[in-house]
Amino acid sequence: MPILVKLDDMLHERRMTLTELADRIGITLANLSILKTGKARAVRFSTLEAICAALHCQPGDLLEFAAPDEETASPPL
Amino acid sequence: MSSTPALAASRTLLRVLLVLNLVVGAGIAALLAASFLFEETLMAGAVGEPLSPATMPLVMGMRGIAAIGIASIPLNHIFLTRLLAIVDTVRAGDAFVLANAVRLQTIAWTLLGLEMLHLLVGAVITGASTDERPLDIEWSFSFNPWLAVLLLFVLARVFEHGARMRADLEGTV
Repeated sequence: MPILVKLDDMLHERRMTLTELADRIGITLANLSILKTGKARAVRFSTLEAICAALHCQPGDLLEFAAPDEETASPPL
Repeated sequence: MSSTPALAASRTLLRVLLVLNLVVGAGIAALLAASFLFEETLMAGAVGEPLSPATMPLVMGMRGIAAIGIASIPLNHIFLTRLLAIVDTVRAGDAFVLANAVRLQTIAWTLLGLEMLHLLVGAVITGASTDERPLDIEWSFSFNPWLAVLLLFVLARVFEHGARMRADLEGTV
């Protein structure tokens, strides 16, 4: 998936573990692991809001779009 | 869960029907073979008069219907095994999966095949019967099974859509 989740980097910057974040925002560790490893199909705004509030960051600090191939990438709708 | 006994009963019933289907298939195959091996005695008895060129359409009609009966056995088997698999997923607590949508579609195709065979039986009866010697087998056309086929195809699509939505929801954090 061309959307990269940079939760690991942000946690490292904030010196916080995934377990601590899970406790703070009330989302299960299993679900956060799914998000961190890029296996999630979608992210709720409420989840994004909670993570941003806990890590004092913007959604753009957590997500990044990386086109697989600039030439073959389909144009945005 | 209150539906467990009903599911267990359905599972048992489907397993019995699976065996019964194979037994009936073997029986029809044996009858068809016997109609060639003991043609004079067996078929004369079935037709109700000594065999002659005039009774041959009836004999061939009976054999044709037996052959159609044998052809329906694998379709019944596919129908029952897929239905059993769906019941098993319901028992396991996870029925809304794409595999069940595929199974439902397979069931719709098999039911369509069975209805085509039913039409073929009607055609054979019509073709083999004459005013003097009608093939005395009850047959009637009904729209309901065809509507059931249509309903199953639609349901399979609905199921597929629902299963995809559920898969998406499961991957939502």
